[in-house]
Amino acid sequence: MAIFIIRRLLWSVVLLVFVTFLTFLIFVVLPSADPALLRAGRNPTPEIIASIRKTLGLDQPWYVQYFKYLRNLVLHFDFGYSYQNFLSVKETIFPRMPATISLALGGAVVWLLIGIPVGILSAVKRGTFIERFAMGAALVGISAPVYWLGLVSIYLFSTDIGKFPIFDATGNYANPWDDFGRWLSSLILPWIVLAVSFAAIYARFMRSNLIEVLDEDYIRTARAKGLVERRVILRHGVRSAITPIVTIFGLDLGILLGGAILTETVFNIPGIGRTAFDAIQKSDLPVVQGTVLIGATAIVLFNLIVDVLYGFIDPRVRY
Amino acid sequence: MTRLTRARLAPALLIAVAGLAAGCGSSSSEKSSSKGGTNPGGAEIGKGKQGGDVTYLAAADVDFLDPGQTYYTFGFMVRDATNRSLYGFKPGEEGPSPDLAASDPQISPDKKTITIKMKPGVKFSAPVNRAATSKDVKYAIERAFTANVPNGYASSYFAEIQGAPAKPISIKKLKPFSGLQTPDDQTLIIKLTKPVAPRVAAALVLPISVPVPESYAKKFDAQTPSTYDQHVVFTGPYQVKHDASGKVTGRRPGKLIEIERNPNWDKSTDYRPAFLDSIRIEEGNDDQTVATRRTISGQSLMCCDSGQPPIPILKRALTRYKDQLGRVASGGTRWIAMNMTIKPFDNLNVRKAIVAGFNRSALRLTRGGAAVGPIAQGYIPPGIPGYDESGGTKGFGDTLDFMKNPEGDAALAKKYMLAAKKQGVPVSSDGKYAGKGGILTIATNADPGLSTAQVGQQEFSKLGFKLNFRKVPQDTLYTKFCGIPKAKVAVCPNVGWFKDFVDPESMLEPTFDGKAIKPAGNVNWSQLDDPKINAAMAKAALIEQGDARNKAWAEINKQIVAQAPGIPYSWDDSFQLESKDVNGIMNGNFTTWDLSFSSLK
Amino acid sequence: MALLEIKDLTVHFATEDGLVKAVDGVSYTVDRGQTLGIVGESGSGKSVSSMTVMGLTRAPNAHISGEILFDGQDLLQASDDELRKVRGDDVAMIFQDPLSSLHPFYKVGKQIAEAVRTHRDTSKAQAWDRAVEMLGLVGIPEPRRRADAYPHEFSGGMRQRAMIAMALANDPKLLIADEPTTALDVTVQAQILELIDRLQDEFDTAVVVITHDLGVVAETADDIAVMYAGRIVEKASADMIFHGPEHPYTWGLLRSIPRLDTPRDEELVPIAGRPPSLITLPGGCSFHPRCPYVRDAHRRTEPGLVPTDADPQHLVACLLDQGTRRRLWGQLEAGETPKEARALAMEDGEVELDTDVAEAGTEPGAAAARAMDTAQTAKEEEAG
Repeated sequence: MAIFIIRRLLWSVVLLVFVTFLTFLIFVVLPSADPALLRAGRNPTPEIIASIRKTLGLDQPWYVQYFKYLRNLVLHFDFGYSYQNFLSVKETIFPRMPATISLALGGAVVWLLIGIPVGILSAVKRGTFIERFAMGAALVGISAPVYWLGLVSIYLFSTDIGKFPIFDATGNYANPWDDFGRWLSSLILPWIVLAVSFAAIYARFMRSNLIEVLDEDYIRTARAKGLVERRVILRHGVRSAITPIVTIFGLDLGILLGGAILTETVFNIPGIGRTAFDAIQKSDLPVVQGTVLIGATAIVLFNLIVDVLYGFIDPRVRY
Repeated sequence: MTRLTRARLAPALLIAVAGLAAGCGSSSSEKSSSKGGTNPGGAEIGKGKQGGDVTYLAAADVDFLDPGQTYYTFGFMVRDATNRSLYGFKPGEEGPSPDLAASDPQISPDKKTITIKMKPGVKFSAPVNRAATSKDVKYAIERAFTANVPNGYASSYFAEIQGAPAKPISIKKLKPFSGLQTPDDQTLIIKLTKPVAPRVAAALVLPISVPVPESYAKKFDAQTPSTYDQHVVFTGPYQVKHDASGKVTGRRPGKLIEIERNPNWDKSTDYRPAFLDSIRIEEGNDDQTVATRRTISGQSLMCCDSGQPPIPILKRALTRYKDQLGRVASGGTRWIAMNMTIKPFDNLNVRKAIVAGFNRSALRLTRGGAAVGPIAQGYIPPGIPGYDESGGTKGFGDTLDFMKNPEGDAALAKKYMLAAKKQGVPVSSDGKYAGKGGILTIATNADPGLSTAQVGQQEFSKLGFKLNFRKVPQDTLYTKFCGIPKAKVAVCPNVGWFKDFVDPESMLEPTFDGKAIKPAGNVNWSQLDDPKINAAMAKAALIEQGDARNKAWAEINKQIVAQAPGIPYSWDDSFQLESKDVNGIMNGNFTTWDLSFSSLK
Repeated sequence: MALLEIKDLTVHFATEDGLVKAVDGVSYTVDRGQTLGIVGESGSGKSVSSMTVMGLTRAPNAHISGEILFDGQDLLQASDDELRKVRGDDVAMIFQDPLSSLHPFYKVGKQIAEAVRTHRDTSKAQAWDRAVEMLGLVGIPEPRRRADAYPHEFSGGMRQRAMIAMALANDPKLLIADEPTTALDVTVQAQILELIDRLQDEFDTAVVVITHDLGVVAETADDIAVMYAGRIVEKASADMIFHGPEHPYTWGLLRSIPRLDTPRDEELVPIAGRPPSLITLPGGCSFHPRCPYVRDAHRRTEPGLVPTDADPQHLVACLLDQGTRRRLWGQLEAGETPKEARALAMEDGEVELDTDVAEAGTEPGAAAARAMDTAQTAKEEEAG
């Protein structure tokens, strides 16, 4: 097990380096804006452009730029400086992580709390009104774009422009250790909005998994043993049906920890996703690299966690 | 001489990259006026309630707090409230007023020397805590020529200062400029290598003249790039929150900027009333719909850094929330540029035919229609001297037939097309372009620019021109395509130019002077290079401010329009929103709210 | 009084394709300590009838009627909860595939202990001890260590032993073994059958063995009921079934038993054709489309399950004349093929055959086959 984890971690490092390389390459190949020209203003002299290029290191061939970036990253854990405002990428991104983590984890709790029970209920109450209603709602939930849902929820419930002013919806994020109440109040709507489509997907996934599992022979065995139905469903059925959900949950969480761009944008939550979005628009490669690295690290890490966890959940899987 | 210099030297306002989305334009009154536009609810400049806190909803962060580096509208707005330059602009006034300076600049008869007297007792914020002197201004200008402090305009407007390096140098190699002399703490003498003192003096309104205390800033400037941006000291009525060492703590990029009163500010030295106690700039309001809605129905909010609300909201605001809508002339023109080095746009008759046939009114609709400003008739917008001399809203329609009908004149277009046919351009007998191959067109990928480009595409196709349409982000459009002559883009439907100075030269010289064509960052998008026009510009540049100068530039404007290098279509205004309880004042120079003059009701 | 008495049991499932008559009027009894073998092809209703005893076929679309008297209590009238209490306690069941029938995520010992704790008020430790004891009893070496293992760490035979241990953990009065050896190797099959037999003696349990393979019940069963298309077509003592079977279907089943004395490469003789659709049963004798000895009248008249002249305990549902049946069986036993037997019988004028119908009947139409599959799937879903 330990060897497995160590090997996977080493591979992860290789993967992350590759990801930085790929990001770099995409920037070189695709026609993004020229950062030096952007920085130089609208009517720059060639001398200023040259000087800015030099300052940003853009006068060197791209592979030299990449090598220098990588060297600073590996040797000094230095993420470089923004092309746009010269601020340290590390200092730009790291303070934004609490917001993204809060959003992702809170949203995950909400969607699990809704999606899993609804999925179980729909599977158990198959063919009834409950199932039809739940799956209909799930379809709506999956189809509703986060963007639209976010705006609707803001118009309905935010304290500034809502019809029923209940939550501090936009731009009120505060870190929980600074102001716990505001943290909570500012995140409730985003959590729900973020969770809606996930809850719907998880409910459907849980339902189909459980229906499949309830057809398994060992469920018949459990019933033949005389277990109460509740125990049959929860201990025997759900226990199996939830296993694949752990996998997608890990991946979803990993992806979200790289930034939930739409939710962060609608609710103005200062997280990683929005930083990435802004940076891409401004062709701010160092910041993009930083956010990509954070996102990729989260995904890689959660993949590993899922794999390790899987060994505990499913005794048939061993490393 | 001071009378002359003072009049028209309004600030070089550099709005976003090459007039990026930033809404701009003139007052809707369609009159020539550089006055401050309309302040909502009839707010009176200079009057207001003392105290109160305002939150400003912004999408993005300011570019820089460092006055040597800040370059964009939003940065200018914050800079004006927190740091004072030698000259500044009161809202609603046409000309600059002395700010740090005690009086107007004195310009020598040979136009090679400028003498400025500074007010005593304008103190820096902590930890410097001493009065700013002419030596601080000298250092501020000098550092802007170094690679450590990349400044976008120093070499454009101040290159003639004696001793200034031709290229940005390392700060380690920086030697005091012989052309910047400080005989005493209150006097700055600028010596120039060329007789361009009026322009240099005018440019002193730029943040480059905000004093920077060398002994304090030195260690930050030694970094490449300088980190003074995170340790700025302030001279204005406000300051961004900072700790005792001077490190700025109130700016968290993408999140917020906390602006509070500067305890070292002395009201008696300043024209700013500074009513508000604090301004909290909340960033990340990328969703303009939400931000504008919040502002309209909320309390103590101002909005937005993005120049103009989304068109649908703007249209509604113009009727329903008039009292919450600020409007200001910004002096900018939007047009569709045709690259004259690429066939068939090298043919004058073809260009004339296109302009004649174009429904420019339809183009303007994509920016909000008649309510937001007039249809552009040339390249000197309302609010810029030379506008009236260029025929105002009528433009040159009387003499240039193809500019007469903004709805488009199909018959006239056909006539010019057939004329082009005689010159060998492939044109069908019914006046349609018959050339082969698509015409490379680079358009922006987001509205409203995208709509404009699409309408443009339609108009082109009426005359048989098939545009090979490519959509890219606005920044990419300028820095990789339209601004690079080598990219050989034939049509750039989303270009625009906004005033640098309240002066016609700054409108026409960068955009239509053949000598201004550059391999990168080019803004003469049509690549118009007409020796006659070039010569006329060189001559007109030396004419002193006044009617003669305005007439000369209006004449150049007409010559440019006669060459039909583009299809000008909009002189739209800049709009900003505020909450009901806010008494916002627009400043025509940075075309947005003036934080030092706005107050609560 | 019989331990289990099933009277006129019908189990129908309403499906989208129509009413699936999975069990259609079945009666049998099982006494204490006795072993009943129920034999038939898949889809004959043999599993459904026994699962109905456990209440495992209860579903909104299931129509169940008749009587299932267990120890004098009518299980059909029992509430779900009453039935649940019987399940796994007085009546236990083991299934065909022991790997899929054990939960893959729980330790074997835990799964057995769970069965104990469901019906007995014991501590976890006591239940665990019981599980270990039972594993030892079914012949698993090092039971304490093996109890701590997961099903996938067991071999196929060990898993079935574990299943049996689980089933017998609560000392049931009746054990229903549904194809207990089908998924196992031939050698392991014998061991498992022997184990069931041994434990039956030890615990004095009544056993119902459900199988498609007469060979499985040859040694162990006291009585054998042969089911076809939801009905019992022949029922007698095991001895009688093997030595004097009277139903052509039973003959077919007997001829498809692999024998140790025949060479392995000799082809087994399957019964031609496929089981009929349980939605649209053939008229008359439902076996007629596959019966080599069919007479025209068999397509109209339904045979009743009636005793033979020789033995009142021997029940057969066949329209053929008893003498003809004996003669045919005699021919078959002598090694003739059904065709030859039929030819001989025809000479006697006993069987008037419509060859076309017989041939055609062996190939049910594709539509019928499909309906059959659907019904089967639907039924299994409901049962599960």
